[in-house]
Amino acid sequence: MAEHMMLIDLTKCTGCRACQVACKEWNSLRAEKTVFNGTYQNPPDLSYDTWTLVRFDEMKSKDRLKKVKWLLRKEGCMHCEDAPCVQACPSPGALVKTPEGAVVHNPKYCIGCKACVVACPFDIPRYSPKDEKIAKCTLCYDRITEGKVPACVEACTTGCLEFGPKEDILARAMARVKEVNGSLYPNNGYKTHVMYIIPDYARIEEYSHLNPDPRVPATELWWKNLFKPLTLIGMGGVAGLAVLHYLIKGPHKVEDKGTEGGDNNA
Amino acid sequence: MHSNVDMVKLTDVPERITHWILAGSFLVALVTGLGLMYHHWSVIPTIFGGYYASKWIHIFSGLMFGLSLVVAIPMWWKDCLFVEGDGKWIMKAGGYLWEAEDLPPAGKFNAGQKVFYWFVVAFGILLVATGLVMANALVFPVVLARWAFMLHAMSVFVLASFLMVHIYLGTIGNPGTIQAMLYGWVTRAWARVHCPKWLEEKMDNI
Repeated sequence: MAEHMMLIDLTKCTGCRACQVACKEWNSLRAEKTVFNGTYQNPPDLSYDTWTLVRFDEMKSKDRLKKVKWLLRKEGCMHCEDAPCVQACPSPGALVKTPEGAVVHNPKYCIGCKACVVACPFDIPRYSPKDEKIAKCTLCYDRITEGKVPACVEACTTGCLEFGPKEDILARAMARVKEVNGSLYPNNGYKTHVMYIIPDYARIEEYSHLNPDPRVPATELWWKNLFKPLTLIGMGGVAGLAVLHYLIKGPHKVEDKGTEGGDNNA
Repeated sequence: MHSNVDMVKLTDVPERITHWILAGSFLVALVTGLGLMYHHWSVIPTIFGGYYASKWIHIFSGLMFGLSLVVAIPMWWKDCLFVEGDGKWIMKAGGYLWEAEDLPPAGKFNAGQKVFYWFVVAFGILLVATGLVMANALVFPVVLARWAFMLHAMSVFVLASFLMVHIYLGTIGNPGTIQAMLYGWVTRAWARVHCPKWLEEKMDNI
């Protein structure tokens, strides 16, 4: 299947949370007991059993006619193009970037090392100490490969969520940004398969828990591209030089006639 | 063998046990770590019982390495303090890699071994510390955890490369040397070549 994308048009989100419920239902995720914390935020955060949720940001506005600004954002995996979580994962098959653009975790192979949690620029994967595994949104990989849209898109009541072939969604995003005078996220060149349309009354920095400048962590680039090959070059290089040295110079024998003892082959 | 007058005792039992627990735990952690790092070497995790088992073997061998470091560091640090002549010795690689004249006499450990000791101390501590952060990554700020992953990889590059030098010079490169870590006793002739200053001081004390 061709590369697909999801567009989250935040100008249309009403915070109904149908996406949250549909995600739980389709993926058979356990419900969590939560407590009222004084805001509409519920559940409070993504978890091993909550792969998507609506973030509510209530903020005071300088505009006296609109005293309160209410920002809603459906949060979940952004399905990166060069997914740092996939790069960091030590267990083959545990995190896979699919041709459709989805980044899918497979609990069967996950060893619970948490490297992906550390690597993610969006703080998405959630670790369960009990299960010793991570979990996150899969872009409903089991649905999209059957020609369906993800469960959250299917359930969305306002058309805030759209899913389709990459080119269509990108064209749609461009047109919509113009239409509402909004902006696109990510807007720093970082490529993902989920994009937001930020309304004209909001700035990226105003959304809680949204990295304004997502990128592959520099530390990961260093260990992956530099120290990983260097370790092989270093160990192999020294071993190769040692063999050469042995062949050219031979063993550094202790020459002392008349002294017995010492198994030279030890 | 011990009664042989031509043999001298270079290392005692605690030193040899510490050395091999340190070496063994490091090697197990190194091999499982390489298996987790290089996906095309899936044969390593297979040998160790899969990727999940490899993770825990890596963590426990790493902890064992850390514990043996705690014993090893105070055990040898006095022997590994640099003295006059060590710089000159290093410049000539102690005559171990090419012929050299006028070598400052080495003590129990030569200057190269001392450098290795201090590398093991510095990068060993860094490996264990960053490993602890990685194993408990969610307890720490994400920036610290990210740095831990990078410094862990950097330290293993340095130590594993240096380890290859150590293995070569301690085994086939210098026949008779490994005995010092196997039985503790080396020939007097060996000691005269490899640890002349140590041998001289030992003879003075008798």
